[in-house]
Amino acid sequence: MSMFNRNDKETDVSAPDKPRDVTSASVAAMPKPIQPVAAPAPTPDLSSAKSAGPSVISKALKITGQLESTEDIRIDGEVEGDIHGVSVTVGHGAKVKGSVYGQTVELAGTIEGKIEAKKVILTSTAHMAGDVIHQDIRIESGAYIDGHCRPGTNKTDYKPAVKPN
Amino acid sequence: MGTVMSAAPSRRLLRPPRAEGGPGALASHLSKAITIKGDLESDGELHINGKVQGQICADRLVIGPGGYLEGDVIARDVHIEGRMEGRIFALNVTLDSTAEVNGRIFHNTITVAKGARIDARMPWRPPSYFETLETLPEARQ
Repeated sequence: MSMFNRNDKETDVSAPDKPRDVTSASVAAMPKPIQPVAAPAPTPDLSSAKSAGPSVISKALKITGQLESTEDIRIDGEVEGDIHGVSVTVGHGAKVKGSVYGQTVELAGTIEGKIEAKKVILTSTAHMAGDVIHQDIRIESGAYIDGHCRPGTNKTDYKPAVKPN
Repeated sequence: MGTVMSAAPSRRLLRPPRAEGGPGALASHLSKAITIKGDLESDGELHINGKVQGQICADRLVIGPGGYLEGDVIARDVHIEGRMEGRIFALNVTLDSTAEVNGRIFHNTITVAKGARIDARMPWRPPSYFETLETLPEARQ
């Protein structure tokens, strides 16, 4: 019965962009063992706006598994697994355990594994443990690198086909 | 089901929200060009417009109009505009009119827009159920 009462309070089922009221009202009515709902996320329509842009792995996100994209990827969080992208940026503080394949790979964080890309940029905060296979590389002063740097074959494409595992 | 279940973690699955930074700062966006096979763990927000196969733990999950998730999700808030196959464990679930859900929806509050396609059982659970969730129930059926 109480379920119906609760629903009566909030009748706009057709307005999906403000479910917040439902949640805060009902959670407040419950005995709460924890703090109520998280800080309301005020941007539900951001998803559609962002659907065309690059993928962003924020620092709050940890991925265990394989990423594949035909567009750009920016990583600020943690990834355990291989990454295949066009332009892959590993931001400062980010950590990748696995191989990174792309046309362009820019590293400001940490990679333990391999980079295989046409163009590789290791910025001053980069920490690279593993081999770098490249056609064009830039290493800024301050970058740490432990591994072989070797030019890849002159074939045009980065090759996600060969997967080391 | 083809979802990869990680070795049963002994800690609670529902992530406490992060205090630092705004909600936008911790939001991750997976564009429609991306495919992920594996598990995702976030204590922030996660927007999926691409394809994900695996288990997701997040504070808030949004599956955008083109997004597709195959696997289970544990979150405080789940908002679905895309497609999903698997189980939802969330305090607050919102299914948009374009949503397509197949599986189970464990919820505390749920909002379903007219037009949503749902083929799922929707068991209600008290908030404490989600807070103390450590391992997901085994059977799908």
